[in-house]
Amino acid sequence: MIYLDNAATSFPKPRGVIEEQMRCMRQYCGNPGRGAHRLSLAAAEKIYACRELIADTFGASAERVCFTQNTTTALNIAIKGLLCEGDHVLISDMEHNAVYRPVARLASEGRITYDVFPTFPLSPDRSTARICTAIAHLIRPNTKMLICAHASNICSATLPIKEIGALCHKKGILFVVDAAQSAGHLPIDVTKMRIDALCVPGHKGLLGPQGCGFVVWGEDVSADTLIEGGSGFHSLDAQMPEEAPERFEAGTLPTPAIAGLCEGIREVREIGLEAVERHERELNERLFAMLSTLPDLCICAPLHRGSILSFVCDRIPSDRLAAELDRRGFCVRAGFHCSALGHRTLQTPDGGALRVSPGIYTKSTDIDAFFHAMREILT
Amino acid sequence: MHSENKTTGECIAVIGSVTQAMRAQRVLAEASLRVEVIRADSTVTGRGCAYGLMYPCVQDEAVRAALRGAGIRVRGGGRR
Repeated sequence: MIYLDNAATSFPKPRGVIEEQMRCMRQYCGNPGRGAHRLSLAAAEKIYACRELIADTFGASAERVCFTQNTTTALNIAIKGLLCEGDHVLISDMEHNAVYRPVARLASEGRITYDVFPTFPLSPDRSTARICTAIAHLIRPNTKMLICAHASNICSATLPIKEIGALCHKKGILFVVDAAQSAGHLPIDVTKMRIDALCVPGHKGLLGPQGCGFVVWGEDVSADTLIEGGSGFHSLDAQMPEEAPERFEAGTLPTPAIAGLCEGIREVREIGLEAVERHERELNERLFAMLSTLPDLCICAPLHRGSILSFVCDRIPSDRLAAELDRRGFCVRAGFHCSALGHRTLQTPDGGALRVSPGIYTKSTDIDAFFHAMREILT
Repeated sequence: MHSENKTTGECIAVIGSVTQAMRAQRVLAEASLRVEVIRADSTVTGRGCAYGLMYPCVQDEAVRAALRGAGIRVRGGGRR
């Protein structure tokens, strides 16, 4: 089996991730931040150590790291916790439904308005200045927030979040970043990039298990809660505490998943982001060069090299192609990748596209084998 | 009260959440002050459960100064 669906979730997981989850469940899996006994405090200590590691990785302080179930929950907390009646929002034309749907719902209820700004992923004239100018033209007096995916989940196009963050800061607009495809692949610094809410999955580029993600708040960002419940302190109050992170973490945290995530982040840091980026780019370039020799294939957003490559086959719908590849031992993802906006922007046909997303453990021989399988299917 | 001028026995400073208590523990460790994170007596805050720090009372002044310096609020406490 050759796994090429790392944009959905990374696989395999590092041994340290698996072993730490097991160690947690065997040795210290108390309920963190609830009891006073040694297991509860040991679990809380592990959670806090993970907050510190995340904070150090993304340029924030530990208290601003709030654990969530996944990126989607993190985005919903940021979007619904920060927006108010009458606000205007800007989102990019490459957004995942985790951004598009909550924003569209608030708009359909008449609570906010929104515009979609272009990011020109198909244009050879794409530039940071062009994207920022397009954003600036759409800013209104009541624009409260800009949300964008740092990296697309369909192709390897990325957005210049440092420059967009600077623009948002200058205009007094909250900047929310969906780092689902960039955390663990590209450098991100919440403070330097003027990010107000960074929404991150634990189980993709950071190599952790499924079931945990997080939001890292920018300094002085104050948000309403999405859900309420037990927080482990001020238990007699009817309201959630004001203090982050517990304000946003109602209910028991998934300690084993967070313990595993901690080891995943350590693994990424040990390998180094530059090495991750270089490895994935080289695999992408190799795959691009080989697939370009096949007839009837059209590569989506062919100008971008990174960790993801999607393509469309004129003769075979993407779902059928994915099923055929699965029979030959290749795990890839077909369809629309939960991104209505992105696929519209990339002008993919009715059947969507087939996405190949190698990871840090993918070998160049895996890419060669994938190409041979594709050639066999098409000829 | 927390400000009692005692130099023997153990003192407690009520902080709030376990996260803040652990942050406080890190801050104090940097100042070479060893403290233990504990669950504080719920009656102290009047708001229910809370976490705090336990340390030798001889360190009381130093602990309070370091926490103040780091902007960490002490919500109550005293001798154990």
